[in-house]
Amino acid sequence: MSQLYNKVTDEVVKELSAICGDKFVTDSLPLRHSYMAKGIMGLEAVVPEVVVRPANKDEVLKILVVANENLSPVTPAAGGLSGGFALPAIEPGGILMDMTRMNRLEVDEKNRVMTVEPGVRCGDAWRIFKKKHPDWAPPIPDGAPPGATILGDAIERGFSLVTGKFGPQADMIIGLEIALPTGELFRTGSWALDGAKAFYRWGIGPNPDGLFLGSQGSMGIITKCAIKLVPHPHYKTIVAYGGDSWEHIIEPAWEIGRHEMGIAENTVMVQGGNWPLVMTRWPKSNVPIDYKFYEKIGVDEYWMNSEVWAWSQEELDFTLKKIDETYKAYEVEKKTVCKKQDLHPKQIASRLKKPNLIAVPYGLYEAGFLFITWYCPWLESPRMMEEYCAKMEEYGFPPTMWVASIDHARQAIVMPILCFDSSEEGIYDKIREFNLETTKSFVKQGWINYRPDPFVHAPYTFSKAKEYYRMLVKFRKLLDPNLILHPGRLAIPWGAVTDLPNPIEEGK
Amino acid sequence: MTSLEELRRINARCIHCRACQYAYSNEPDREGKDEEYTGMMLSCPGGNHYGWEGYFNSGRMWIARAFLEGELEPSQEMLEVIEACTTCGLCAEQCKNYIDTVDVIEELRAAIIDSGVEPLKRHKVIGDRVLDEEMRNPYHDPRSERTAWYDGEIDNQNAKIAYYVGCTGAYRQQGVAKHTASILKKLGYDFTVLSDEVCCGSPILRTGQKDVFKTVMNENLDLFKDFDMLVFSCAGCYRTFRVDYPKQSGKPLPFEVKHTLDLVWELITEGKIKIEKPYNKKVTWHDPCHTIRHIGLSIEKAILDESDNWLLDSRNATKAKEAWYERPRDVLRAITGIDFREMYRIKGDSFCCGAGGGVKTQFSEMALETAKERVKEAAATGAEVLMTSCPFCITNFSDAVKALKDEEKETGKDLSSVGSKLEIVELLEVLDELL
Repeated sequence: MSQLYNKVTDEVVKELSAICGDKFVTDSLPLRHSYMAKGIMGLEAVVPEVVVRPANKDEVLKILVVANENLSPVTPAAGGLSGGFALPAIEPGGILMDMTRMNRLEVDEKNRVMTVEPGVRCGDAWRIFKKKHPDWAPPIPDGAPPGATILGDAIERGFSLVTGKFGPQADMIIGLEIALPTGELFRTGSWALDGAKAFYRWGIGPNPDGLFLGSQGSMGIITKCAIKLVPHPHYKTIVAYGGDSWEHIIEPAWEIGRHEMGIAENTVMVQGGNWPLVMTRWPKSNVPIDYKFYEKIGVDEYWMNSEVWAWSQEELDFTLKKIDETYKAYEVEKKTVCKKQDLHPKQIASRLKKPNLIAVPYGLYEAGFLFITWYCPWLESPRMMEEYCAKMEEYGFPPTMWVASIDHARQAIVMPILCFDSSEEGIYDKIREFNLETTKSFVKQGWINYRPDPFVHAPYTFSKAKEYYRMLVKFRKLLDPNLILHPGRLAIPWGAVTDLPNPIEEGK
Repeated sequence: MTSLEELRRINARCIHCRACQYAYSNEPDREGKDEEYTGMMLSCPGGNHYGWEGYFNSGRMWIARAFLEGELEPSQEMLEVIEACTTCGLCAEQCKNYIDTVDVIEELRAAIIDSGVEPLKRHKVIGDRVLDEEMRNPYHDPRSERTAWYDGEIDNQNAKIAYYVGCTGAYRQQGVAKHTASILKKLGYDFTVLSDEVCCGSPILRTGQKDVFKTVMNENLDLFKDFDMLVFSCAGCYRTFRVDYPKQSGKPLPFEVKHTLDLVWELITEGKIKIEKPYNKKVTWHDPCHTIRHIGLSIEKAILDESDNWLLDSRNATKAKEAWYERPRDVLRAITGIDFREMYRIKGDSFCCGAGGGVKTQFSEMALETAKERVKEAAATGAEVLMTSCPFCITNFSDAVKALKDEEKETGKDLSSVGSKLEIVELLEVLDELL
């Protein structure tokens, strides 16, 4: 891939300094290393050649033009959907654009929309809303720490705190402001019209925003995003039911979600897992590794939480009653037991807390972990999780699994948490093997990786979607003719990340 | 003994989640009085000042990893980045992966210097002074005057308790040393002060000069080995003896160590003393990182080190840590007439004064800016007194208030809302007056 790009020269660094000021450009090697992240969302990071911290969209545009002229790769990063630099620079490095200075936030309660720049972090947004907009919540990711950004989660189509009702975070976007390496800047939705508010996603049509959502920053740099506010009723609780298999926690949740309206609307977040999800939050050497212990302390083998929001106690009670009736009916029908968990108020408070650090401690088990995330139809998720857990054990990983409903149990987000010892020799090769094997199987079954890594998921997925890939590359070249944006992501350019047959060559 | 290599697996727990940049990173709904002081707050002194990821703990952990992996050669440039940290430990308090961030940073500094990189200029100066037989302190003052402040019996070999004064008490804040000695006398302790005492090595260890540190540590351990108990007034000295000496020497301490405030706390909680003289002022309290957060974290760690089931024992470990954080508050509440008001960031989530870890010596601008932020937070409580018990916090806060007063003179603006009228007070001084 390196022949496609040029190294960042001293001259380029000078040009960047002229744009942002010396204070906001660095080629210091230690500082560049500080932007690395291997784990949680990907293992493929490399050290960028220079880091630049633009203050606004004009600076972003100017940087892109300089990068384009020099054929320097550009990686935008602020906080990402999981708090770390979820999309660090990958080979061949280039310019890392640290977007944290762009942290303006505006809230329009009347039109129920907020605009955020890339650097607005969930922790800060939550604090501001708590005091100034207490009846609204910022659409932050559920389960991500405070340093995660709203925009990072939204543009990656992550799940939000109300995903069970509203779908992926990207579904809540109303408009984007996008900077391109060609020096062009444009807005989507109604925002595209001079002077218009961001109030209608499909705007003056047709709407191209889907090209940027899930692009991992490879189609254009989103400098601002308008996104729906979430109403924030203050009657909230969590109910949880156990089960003896994946099927027996997935199916009752579908019974609740499939009605779409009524109590399904109140059930804003549905997520569950298996008992290793509890175990692997602690050091392997300092925690029991036998289920018997967890059974004794009341942890079910499998369980599903439902987070319920309501405008009154009456509405909350009604919803809980109906959920309970659904589970009871399911128990009779399937001749199984879905025991309602007796949650301590502290457990409820802890699960209602947003943002939170719930996803963080998996680093404790063996000093390394990776989230690998897949989407599939909700009712197919037990099959995926069974296969995944079996494969994890075969490879020597604990079968830690988390699952959540997207949009009233239409889709499942299935996430194995791969806990590994990052100091073990050959561990990254082992993970790659594991990833390859599961990816080949899952793609064959029609399941989709939610945030494809460039070396395994993306090439295997696009090998099974050749026409789509060819079209994607055409769009990409229109927006980013020299392919400088996050090269390698979405397997563009193809040869840089895989030896598999190139769908473009095959199409000729 | 510890080294960066021994912390490799602990450092590898970092997933770069950046929760460590926040105070109250796991308390989004913490109530505060306004938008500024509510919920989670970005509270890393280095990161807040410089902005680059490498100045936050989250970035430093990845610099350490690169160094350990041999991907980053040690350099002066790297040392400059790593030294610009007060080692306040706010990051360690937040870390759900229990990374000993302060240890990693201090050991990384030591490893860089050990590889041949010169300590930063001003840090080297204090290291040299501490080794100089004519001084043995970082202040360039004569060793012969170390006990000049004291009018009691020096080097009393019959005493079982020694007051380890520390360099700041001996040379810069003799008032605190005198008040401490007076408190000890009032409480009935038979103690002595040793003329051969040398710097505890705290600023030396924090800045990565481990060889110099070991020299002074061994001297002090040998000098005080026959005492039953050492008493302290300096937060840094106390932390160094209590936490660092056992860790760096690989042996348990041969004596008990207590901060004077702990002695007072014990007597108050046992009902043996009462503070009846009134102190009719509005007071807020700043938790010194060395005596509060660092000791709390070490208490928590000690419990977990003994545990084979963290899932069950972590709660007790946290409780023990939090009980430690409560101690100065118990003392303050025992003072008659005091109008005690808490700042927003307190206890384990307290915001640093900005002086620690060698920052005051080498990065004065960052130190002052950090102190101003804390002073502003103190002023927001409506207090007239910002009270603490650490010589470095006292100095740095006093510098911040002075800077605000200077600014008031220059601009004619009233800066009392951000702390220009605050009185900075050492708690030991007040206790001596009240007991």
